[in-house]
Order: sequence, then structure tokens, then C-alpha cells
Amino acid sequence: MSDTPSEAPVKSILPEWVRGPQDFIGGLAMVAVALFALWASSDLQGMHGFSFGAGTAPRMFAVLLLLLGAAVALMGVLKDGPNIAAYSWRGPLFVSAAIVFFAVGIRPFGLVVSAFAAFLIAALGSHETKWIEAIIVGACLTLGCALLFPYVLGLPMPMFPRFLIQ
Amino acid sequence: MMSIRSLAGACLSAFAALGAFAVPASAQNYPTRTITMIVPFAAGGPTDVISRIVTAHMAQTLGQSIVIENVVGAGGTTATTRAARAANDGYTLITGHMGTHAASVPLYPKLAYHPEKDFEPVALLAGTPILILARKDFPPKDLKEFIAYVKANAEKVNAAHAGIGSVSHASCELLNSILDVKPVGVPFNGTGPAMNALVAGQVDYMCDQIVNAVPQINAGTIKAYAVATPERNPSLPNVPTTAEAGLPAFQAQAWNAVFAPKGTSPAIIATLNAAAIKALDDENVRKRLLELGSVIPQPANRTPEALATLVKNEIAKWTPVLKPAS
Amino acid sequence: MELFANLAHGFAVAFSPINLLMCLIGALVGTLVGVLPGIGTIATVAMLLPITFGLPPVGALIMLAGIYYGAQYGGSTTSILVNIPGEATSVVTALDGHQMAKQGRAGPALAIAAIGSFFAGCVATVLIAVLGAPLTKLALAFGPAEYFSLMVLGLIFAVVLAKGSVLKAIAMIVFGLLLSMVGSDIETGASRMAFNIPELADGLGFATVAMGVFGFAEIIRNLDHGAEMDRNLVQQKITGLMPTRKDLVDSTPAILRGTVLGSILGILPGGGAVIASFAAYTLEKKLAKDPSRFGRGAIEGVASPESANNAAAQTSFIPLLTLGIPPNAVMALMVGAMTIHGIVPGPQVMQKQPDLVWGMIASMWIGNLMLIIINLPLVGIWVRLLRVPYRLMFPSIVVFCAIGIYSVNNAPVDVVLAGAFGLVGYWLIKHDFEPAPLLLGMVLGPLMEENLRRALLISRGDWSVFLSRPLSAVLLAIAAGLLVLAVLPALRAKRDEVFVESEG
Repeated sequence: MSDTPSEAPVKSILPEWVRGPQDFIGGLAMVAVALFALWASSDLQGMHGFSFGAGTAPRMFAVLLLLLGAAVALMGVLKDGPNIAAYSWRGPLFVSAAIVFFAVGIRPFGLVVSAFAAFLIAALGSHETKWIEAIIVGACLTLGCALLFPYVLGLPMPMFPRFLIQ
Repeated sequence: MMSIRSLAGACLSAFAALGAFAVPASAQNYPTRTITMIVPFAAGGPTDVISRIVTAHMAQTLGQSIVIENVVGAGGTTATTRAARAANDGYTLITGHMGTHAASVPLYPKLAYHPEKDFEPVALLAGTPILILARKDFPPKDLKEFIAYVKANAEKVNAAHAGIGSVSHASCELLNSILDVKPVGVPFNGTGPAMNALVAGQVDYMCDQIVNAVPQINAGTIKAYAVATPERNPSLPNVPTTAEAGLPAFQAQAWNAVFAPKGTSPAIIATLNAAAIKALDDENVRKRLLELGSVIPQPANRTPEALATLVKNEIAKWTPVLKPAS
Repeated sequence: MELFANLAHGFAVAFSPINLLMCLIGALVGTLVGVLPGIGTIATVAMLLPITFGLPPVGALIMLAGIYYGAQYGGSTTSILVNIPGEATSVVTALDGHQMAKQGRAGPALAIAAIGSFFAGCVATVLIAVLGAPLTKLALAFGPAEYFSLMVLGLIFAVVLAKGSVLKAIAMIVFGLLLSMVGSDIETGASRMAFNIPELADGLGFATVAMGVFGFAEIIRNLDHGAEMDRNLVQQKITGLMPTRKDLVDSTPAILRGTVLGSILGILPGGGAVIASFAAYTLEKKLAKDPSRFGRGAIEGVASPESANNAAAQTSFIPLLTLGIPPNAVMALMVGAMTIHGIVPGPQVMQKQPDLVWGMIASMWIGNLMLIIINLPLVGIWVRLLRVPYRLMFPSIVVFCAIGIYSVNNAPVDVVLAGAFGLVGYWLIKHDFEPAPLLLGMVLGPLMEENLRRALLISRGDWSVFLSRPLSAVLLAIAAGLLVLAVLPALRAKRDEVFVESEG
């Protein structure tokens, strides 16, 4: 999981004293997560007497993450490390779009429509996609899911668009 | 084959229909399709089992199947919120419970529904008695000694419960407020782990529903001081009632009842109520409910009006007890 | 002698045609559920519970049990093939299993997972029959203090299983712990970091986060430019389907150790089974002559955790059968199934329901036999699936995962959250953070916090309970020892690195 694909080196926008931009930015992001968690848990009760409050553990771990993130970022300053890897936009965009469409569509449109549409939207994420093939496979998969989930596994799920049933 | 144009037309009109309000279902031929019964707890729990036993019979009476949908989360309030917002056409119902329709009011200040304002009561199904339980080597021998011991050792005793908002938590808070003690409450994730801790002797006492406790009591791994109902329970004939044992003020039952979203037509409510009553009079249904240690409501308590009164009284009962806890 | 009479009785029950059929159905559905990403055993058992209404109780429970341990067999499949762990217990299987698949060795990985599971299942079944009652004491000996120490040990396992930077692995664990804090607080019921989103009130689901950081993130990364070559390579070099003699020799001790660890940890209610596979993996990595092979396709890294999780799945029946107390959510559903049939399990269930208890124990052995017969031939089919072009495979996985996540709570928000975690996971990969420690932190976080707080409530704030209770002290000592072992090589490696750099 951790091997980063070798990409063409991206020109670093960071100052030169950052020797490992990957760790530097990664560490800073963890610091940001920790600060966010500290803010989000700031309204929670702390220790009262000998017992923990709701906010004790979240704040404890947020501070710990803050320190760890800072340490990772520091490593990025002290040690030479890999540059920030290149991101592509097509895969993340269409895969996310497919997921969001499915989530929004499952209640009103049912499994058949949303699964098929999600398949096709996700397929947009790759430039290798051949459309006729994708439509056929998508249709077969949708049919399979429509039989498998509600019938074989007995999961209650809307099948068809709500307005067609009523 | 449908032409592209007519398909497009169908789609358009369908979208238009989506936007419009659904025409209220006619109450005369209700029900014409499958009814969904939301159960706010996991399959296999007491509320689920009771719902399944009763709705199976109701479905026969109504001539339509009733699908149980278990929606878990946030002490049952997630499911109840969903039911409150469902269409009030009689096709979405919920098995409410002491927690979702009474104790939730003081426990969750930001509750997205109100048990009285957002629901039409349909029928009370069954009550599950609450027991006062303790680890087997807990010193007090009976309820009187228990009361004295807990008061004398308020700094030392631990009371287990199955999580904030659970029946065991609410009923233990009620007991503690009646006894005017504040033991350390040790929270567990569900009844199973709490019972495990009690059997292992890691905690001192807890209040729990009769279903989970009977086999342990019979095996002698824990002991029961009293049952918090007016009458003794047939599955534990030797356990006295709280009134007999000297604490008549402590009365608690985990009740389960069917509710419909507010505005459901009275005719539909009447149809459903009649089906529920018919189920409660069925010998097989009664037998299975009694096996669970449940108490089947008396005929007078089975009307929607009686349920409305129950909800009102329960909210009044739990609010002062649970308010300071949250 | 009584044992043999009981077992004979059990087999007589389990071998009745209806129960054999139920066992087979359970094994098949379990395999299916395990293979489908997102669909968990809890959801399936819950959904199938109503069906068991009409069945005789013994048959119903045999079927439900079959689903539970069958899913342990199937769960490794998606971990190995597409790097998506469906259950907490198969997260570690993905680490080396998927690497093996990338090297064209998906067949041996799947086969050894099935063989290991079968062996572990057989041993654990015998263990339940012979030692079930005495082992119950272990379940009762574990109080909050012991659980807390066990969870600390579990988190140390997470550090050890990292293959990159220890510092970053610890950061990921803490990130996971923070994520696990979302939801309502167990003691006060206060909503924590949930931002009034009702779907977050009970916290982030494991399946949601796991699908995101493993499944979706992996897909998104595979769509990157330059990743195509990698994938095509995988499809071309698929070698043998079955493990070689060397594979078997390498895996045998791993399977044995995994079985022992899993059997012991499985008995502990509430969280023992989860850390069984992590513990088994860590043990193998520590014992290996060359730990650097782990995470790069070591067959022991598949054999051991798979044996452990199946052994744990079986022995987790012990508290249910001897105490009548369900040790986890699936077992709680089994209790539900029993209550529906009018059997309320308790300490006397073994005496009162010999048909049920011994029939179930015997059926577990039969079920494991069925599962290996089902799963070994399936290996060929699964491996052939890898030949499906990725352009068709990835949208299918997206759809399966989305349906799977939706089905857990019927909540569309969960699907969106998984998508968001997919992007987070993609970012983590780009910054060389490993997702496995994050997931472990997320699973163990609540167990650790809750038990810490329970222990302190019971001891009235006295922290010395963790050291004064012998079992807890031993666990903490092991944890401390492991941490030292984990940090030392990292320090040493750093010195080497510095050395290399100054040379170059």
C-alpha cells in the first residue's frame, strides 16, 4: 500500500529547507487534523473527580496526534525524503461522483437505476473504458445485484424508482 | 417497445409526481400493500422479538405482509426520527419503546421529534418487567438489607448499566433516585457485557429486563432481590415484588407499543389497533410472549387513548429522574 | 467418556438431513457474505434471523453459526484479490495477501487461507467440546483493567505490523483512535465531534472507513497514470493455483501458532477476537528470520491471521454455550434467534439443551469440512476473476462496495462518508501513511477508552489497578517489551540510513 508510484518529479513549491516535502506536508496535515479535533471536542466536559469526562480522551489523543504530526513534519525538514507525488484528477473525481450519485439516488430511484448509473459514472474515471462493453457489463452487474442483495441475502432495499411503484 | 418520446414523457410525468404530495391512501381499503414496521433496535433484542411475534399475527388479520426494518442507533432515536418524518399513510409504523417514546425526552435535549406531538398512538403490545439484580456474593440477602447496605456504603458500591438511555440505565436511575443514593454507574455496551461483569462479580448490582436474567438467576450465578411490577412473574415465582419486599415506590416496566406518524387517519389507526388486539388475544401469541417473561396488557389498556395516557405518564415519570444525568 | 457420548449425540443431531442442509446453506451464505465487500456478518445474520422463525431451532442456529464462521473463510477473498477487507479480522490478511496476488500468487494465498482456516476450525471445535467449561473462567477473569491492558497490547501490535516509518504508524493509530471517538460518549451520552449529524451519533462504522481507506482509495490509486502497467503485469503472471511444497512447509508453524493464539483470544468476550488476527500476524513477523518479507507477500502473513480469526470465531461460542452470555454482536443475534424459539440461553444451556449445544458443536466441524470443499475449487474461479480487465472490474467494485455499505444501516450518508474516506485514503497513500494501523486504532479505540474508564470508575480513580492485577500487569509488560523491540530496529535502521546517505 505504501509504495508510491514513481512519477515525474513535481516542481516543489515549498522553500528549499524542506528536504522531504511528502513528510512535511503529511505531518502538517496531521497537525491540522489534531487542531480540528481539539476545536471539535472543546465543548465537551473534561475530568471530573476521578472519572473521565466525555472530552478527556479525544483531547488527549488530539494533543498526541499534534505532537506526532509535528514530529513527522520535522522529519521532513531534517531528512531528505520523497517529493509530493502527483495527483490525478480523473479517477478521484468520477469515482467520488459515482459514490455520491449512488448515495443520493438509492432512496428515490432504487437499486436498479442507481447501481447502473453509478457503474457508468465510475467508468468515466478511466480513459481505457470502452462504452459498449461497459454498458453491457454494467447492465449484467445491475441485474445480478438486483437478484443477489434483496432476494438471496434478504436485504430490504428499494428496487425501482419510487414514483413507478406508487 | 416504448418509443423514446413516450419514455421521456413518462419520465417527466414521473418526476412531476415525485414533487407533488402523495395522495393520502384511502382508509377504506387499507391496507393495499406491504406495511413497514420500523424496529428501533437490533434484530433479536426484546423489542424486536415482541414486534415480530405480534406483527406476524397482525399481518394475517390485515391480509398484507408487514416487513420489519431494524434501524439501530442513538438509543433508538435515529429510527424514531425517521418514523416521525415518514408519510402518514399507515404504511410506515414503529414499535416504540419506553426509551424512544419517554426516556429520550429528558436524555436527548436536541431530540428531533416529540413522542406526543409527532406520533399517533396505536396499541400497547407488551411490557417486560424490571428486576433488581446483584452479583451472587453481594452481602445483602433481601431487598430491605440491600437498601440499607447501599445507603450505608454509597461510596463503595458500583451499579452497572447497559449504556446511557438503555432500559437498565433509566430504571437504575429511578431506583437510585427513590433510594436517594448516587452510586458510581459503570457503563457497558449492551446488556450482554453488563451481565458478564455482574456474573464475574466485577460490579455490584444492576437493574435489567427479566428476559436476560431468568436463566442466570435459576443457575445461581446472580441473585434477584425483587421484580418492579405489581404482581410476581410466573417465570420467577420466588422473587417478590418491590411492594412485597418493602419498596412499593419502585415500579418499572420496559413497554413496547405501536405508533404511527402524526396525522394518520383515525380509521387506519382503528384498523391497526383492532389487528393488534386480535393478535394479543391469540393463544399462540400469548404463549410466546409469556415465555419471554412479558406482561400482556389488560383489555382496558389496549386502546390508543390508553397508550396516549401511558406515554404522557411515562414522560412525566422519567423526566425528573433522568434530567440531571444528561 | 461422557464427552464421547455427548459428541456422538451431537453428530447424530448434526447429521440429520435437515441440519446438514442448514449447515450447507449457512456455509454458502457465509462464504458469499464474506466475499461481498461491505456486507458484514452482523447485518446478514440480522437479516436472516426472521427466516429462521419457521425453522426448527437447532437447524436455525446451525445455519446462523455457519454464516458466522463461513464469512471468516470468504472474508479473506476480497482482502487478497482486491485489497478490501470486509471485516476487521481480515485487515491484516490484505497486507500480505494482496501483495501475493500482485505477484501472481493469488491462488496459493487463497488456498492457504482456506487450509489454515480449516485446520484452525477443527482444532477450535475440539477445544470447545473438551475444554469449553473450564475455559469459561478465562472469560470471567477478564475485567475492565485486563481489557484495557489487552487493548494497549493490541495497539502495539499495530505499530509492529507497519512496514514503513514507526513514527508515521503511531500517528496513524492515534488518527484512528480519534476517529473512533466520534459518536456518543458511553458514560455521559454526550455527542462527541458528531456536528449534529444524526448518522454520526453512533460513530463511524468500521465498514465505512475500511471500504474508504482500503477499497475506494486503492481503486482511485489504480486509476492514476502509470498504474496501468502494474495491473497488466499482475494479470499476465498468474502462476500455480495451489501452494507449493515450500509454501506448505513455511505456513505450517504459522498456522499452528495462529490457531493457538486465536483460540485463546476468541474466548474473551468483547474484542478478543478482533485482535486475534493482528496478534497472530505480529507474532509471525517477530519470529521470522527476515521480517522485511512481511508486507511484501509473505505466505505466513496470510496463513497465521486467517487461522487465528477462524479459531477465534469458533471459540467465541464458548461464553455463549457455557455462560449464556453473548460475547459479541453476532452472538447477541444468536441469543435473539434462541429467544425467538423460546430458548433463553443461560449457564445451564448445556444441560437443558444438549441437542442444541452438541449439535451445534458437531455441525461446526462438518461446516468447516464443507467450507474447505467449497472454497478450494473456488480458488480457481477467483483467480480467473483477476483476468477481468481492470476497466470493467473497478466500476463493479465501486458498485458492490456502495451497495454493501448502504446495506449496513440503510444510510446513504454512510456511502458518502466512505467516499470521503476514499479520498482521505488516497491522500494517505500519496504521503506514505499506512491505512492498516489507522483501522486497528479505530477498532481498538473505543474498547480501550471504555475499559480504561470502567476500570477507573470501579477503582475510584486508582491507576495502580493496571499493575496490581496480575493478568493486566503481564499484558502491559508484554506490550512494553514489544514496543522496545519495535522501536529498536527503527533506531538502528536510522543509523544505517544516515550512514548510507553520508556515503552517497
